[in-house]
Amino acid sequence: MSRPWDVLVVDDEAVVRGGVKLVLEPEGLTVAQAATVAEALASDALNECRLLLCDLMLQGESGLEVVSEARRRRPALPIVLMTGYATDDNAALGAQSGATDFLAKPFDDVELLDQVRRVLGDAHADEKEGSS
Amino acid sequence: MKLRIGVLTVLGVAAVTAGSIGMMSGLVLKAHRDAQIAQLTQGADQLSETIVSSTFWDMLENHRPALHREMITIGKQKGIEKVRLFNRTGKIMFSSSEGEIGHSLDKKYEACIACHAADQPITRPPTKARARIYRAADGHRVLGMIRPIHNETRCWNSGCHAHSREENVLGVLDVNLSLAETDARIAADQRRMILLAVLIMATISTVLLWFGERLVLRPVRELIAGTRRVAAGDLHTMLPAASSTELGDLARAFNEMTSKLSDAQRQLTQADKLASVGRLAAGVAHEINNPLTGVLTYASFLQKRLADRPEVKEDLEVIVRETKRCRDIVRGLLDFSRQSPPQHKPTDLNEIVRRAVAVVMNQLMLRRVALDFHLADGLEAVPADGNQIQQVVVNLVMNAADAIGEGGGTIAVRTAAVELPARGNSIIRLARCPHGCDVLDPTVRIGAHPAIKVIRRTGDRDDVVHMDPVYGRANHHASGSLERDKLATYACPRCRAKLDGPARCGDCGAPTFAVVSPELGRIEWCTRKGCHWTRCETLDASGPLRMVELEVRDSGKGIAPEDLDHLFEPFFTTKGNRGLGLGLAVTYGIVERHGGTIVVSSELGNGATFLVRLPLLRAGQNAAIVTESVRTGGVS
Repeated sequence: MSRPWDVLVVDDEAVVRGGVKLVLEPEGLTVAQAATVAEALASDALNECRLLLCDLMLQGESGLEVVSEARRRRPALPIVLMTGYATDDNAALGAQSGATDFLAKPFDDVELLDQVRRVLGDAHADEKEGSS
Repeated sequence: MKLRIGVLTVLGVAAVTAGSIGMMSGLVLKAHRDAQIAQLTQGADQLSETIVSSTFWDMLENHRPALHREMITIGKQKGIEKVRLFNRTGKIMFSSSEGEIGHSLDKKYEACIACHAADQPITRPPTKARARIYRAADGHRVLGMIRPIHNETRCWNSGCHAHSREENVLGVLDVNLSLAETDARIAADQRRMILLAVLIMATISTVLLWFGERLVLRPVRELIAGTRRVAAGDLHTMLPAASSTELGDLARAFNEMTSKLSDAQRQLTQADKLASVGRLAAGVAHEINNPLTGVLTYASFLQKRLADRPEVKEDLEVIVRETKRCRDIVRGLLDFSRQSPPQHKPTDLNEIVRRAVAVVMNQLMLRRVALDFHLADGLEAVPADGNQIQQVVVNLVMNAADAIGEGGGTIAVRTAAVELPARGNSIIRLARCPHGCDVLDPTVRIGAHPAIKVIRRTGDRDDVVHMDPVYGRANHHASGSLERDKLATYACPRCRAKLDGPARCGDCGAPTFAVVSPELGRIEWCTRKGCHWTRCETLDASGPLRMVELEVRDSGKGIAPEDLDHLFEPFFTTKGNRGLGLGLAVTYGIVERHGGTIVVSSELGNGATFLVRLPLLRAGQNAAIVTESVRTGGVS
């Protein structure tokens, strides 16, 4: 592994993970993938990535488990929750468990890139604040 | 056998009446009898005294034949059984019944025992002790009255020397009066009394039975029948509730209960349906949105990478655009389940129609359906949510294509700007009784819109009538029939308040009834069956409605008349397993939220026409909307 992971995408659907990878890699971001909660929690990427993109409803599991654990390990990590059922209730749930933002599925490349740039930009700003 | 309240009441009352009247008559009769006997006793006493004093001289002078004659004369008088005289030894000295003269009577004889019960005879017994009643040989009663004849100076001084000075009582006069006539009178009185008692009991029972039937039994029977109907699932059961008694209150409470129950059930059903749509939408959203994410990201990535390849660029654009439309449809479904309000923007209806048709064009071509466009030039922009209206057009066109089926046919899509009279075109969307109850019934639609529910009263019969919510159109539905020209009164189906209007019918002068809309003010109708007069001052004064209309007409198989009123209900479908029954419900919801109207007309075998009209903003309408929202704001 030449350089650390920038983004960890957790989704039970390979096509979603592939799509995210396809859009983000040309932007110079490295993308790690996980399909289940266990896979995500065991991944090195969870400890080193700059952004976690996590689906709300994984196959029979809740993405919120990954979000809570990631938040516990890394309080400043930007976490974006993806869901195909974007309701106010789900947004509230996501915010409670520590997600930074919310991305409604289906999204296109522009929406995804905007979202990623925004949270990574925020993270940079935080880091700068923290260092000064 | 089950005892009915009426029978029990009547039996109970009859028993109490019989007891009390019987007791009273008994007391009265006894008093009457006692009074009669007392009077007779007094009469007998006076008579005996009269006899003693009038025969005094005969006795003193010992004129026995004269004495005897007088006694016989007296004994022959009416009502007098016999008159006799005993001497102090009990021997009958004189009697009007001559056969017994010379007989001696024992001290135990009923005439003697009063004084001779004790060892020493009583010489001056009181009147009551001297009277006795006994039965004669033929059974009739006789009142006997004895009177002791006391010794006095003249008696023992008299020349005959029949009595010595020591004697105390010289003899006893016994007067016997027949009670036959008195007894007959008493018996007649008794019979009259009993007859009267029976008559009173019968009258009281009948009156009670009548009142019981009218005030208790009939309402109770209706209540029982109503309860059974409710138990059997008919929550629209209404009882006649004209009575002002507690049972009337009960019937009113019952009606309120069924009305609330049916409302609750309707809301539950509706909530249930919406919850199902919500669950379905959530499931669909989750399942579809993942693959859509894949398609969108891959396609948009390809679009960017192949930006220099114009021959695929356009195709990729179609993929991206159509995938986004899929996303909008799923969101639309979620929105329907959450009843989201439209985002109004000035919208060109023609543009929307073109966009919608482009979306379905391929499918129409596959089904060999031809499209016929008549889009009006220079159509004014209508305040609407473009995406939602596009969905309306897609739904109506696809619905038309489904109606055409396999054989191919034509769909004509037409748009136009129209000015329509308020009469026959305005929808009454809110209607309340004078007490503020909402009388709109979303379970019954006339055309596409919820009807106004009222109770029609004729005599003691109540019918449910659903009034046409289109102002000035008279496509009302009634649960029972009424003869032409009959008058009826109308009431609120919830609180039963009378809906009497303030004025008279402008056509026939009959009374009117009215409901109130917060938006339109009072809406009145004539109460005469067959008279279609109606009035709403706000609408009559508002001038024509300016609207844009969209008509989708197909050459398909048409719609059965019985299906017409159900077309817009969620989950109603005539397509069997191929339809979810949401398309027209979504369409209706969107049109309704835009303040528009949708009308369907069809003949079986002759195609169907859907006509959607959306209002162009008008100063008056704006004011109405603002007023309503202020009102709502004030209440909450």
